[in-house]
Amino acid sequence: MSIEKAYILLSILVFLIGLLGVMVRKNLITMLVSTEIMLNGVNLTLVSADRFLGRVDGQILSFFVLTVAAAEVAVGLGLVVSIFRLRGYEGSSEIVHLRD
Amino acid sequence: MEWIVFGTLALWLLGSVIGAILVRNPVHSILFFLSSVLAMAGLFLSLGAELLAGLQIIIYAVAIVVFYVLVITTIPWEKVKRFEGVYAKELAVGFPVVLVAFALMGYMVVEGDFAQPVGKVEDNVREVGRTLFTSYLFPFEIASVILLVAMIGAILLGRKEE
Repeated sequence: MSIEKAYILLSILVFLIGLLGVMVRKNLITMLVSTEIMLNGVNLTLVSADRFLGRVDGQILSFFVLTVAAAEVAVGLGLVVSIFRLRGYEGSSEIVHLRD
Repeated sequence: MEWIVFGTLALWLLGSVIGAILVRNPVHSILFFLSSVLAMAGLFLSLGAELLAGLQIIIYAVAIVVFYVLVITTIPWEKVKRFEGVYAKELAVGFPVVLVAFALMGYMVVEGDFAQPVGKVEDNVREVGRTLFTSYLFPFEIASVILLVAMIGAILLGRKEE
């Protein structure tokens, strides 16, 4: 097995562990951390495919992923703070209403 | 040599990622995430993407982790303590699903063929800069608009209602 396939397998594993984290965590903040882990796994796929193909387009795509991650964490944490302030919903199983 | 570096960083990355999704305390989870970000920057360095490794440390390990910790300090701690840990039933259902998905995707990766390399990158940072400011100039400008929209959205969401 070449090392590129090992890199791709590692990134798939990181992505799936992040997906498992989104499924099982109770706290909203740690669910957001798990989405960051999923984005990291996708970045690793892009960069390793980049080295294998001898191009740089994957790295540029991962810059955009970094931008989206920063935007997502700003908006997502703002939403989490306002959810916590709103009615005292804090577990991910209690948030089932879109409005009061 | 390449395999030794890859194995060390991969074990570090997997250990910290699994710790980040399974540990009880949210602050410990964020610290595990910080460790996984550092391991990921090492992997990027070993793949020859120096600029992306630096950006990974600057954006993830500094900006995003500090932002998470700041948000945790603004929330009352007893509210955070009430919902820590994982749902046991969802873990029992989700773990086999993830294993099956990994088996399928891993089988495709191991058995399949990759595309042939089309070129060779001599100077990575120079090549990235040239491609980013010629072929990808318009998406680059759009990314700044996305950041501006996210900033305005975060300000509006975090505002106290009168």
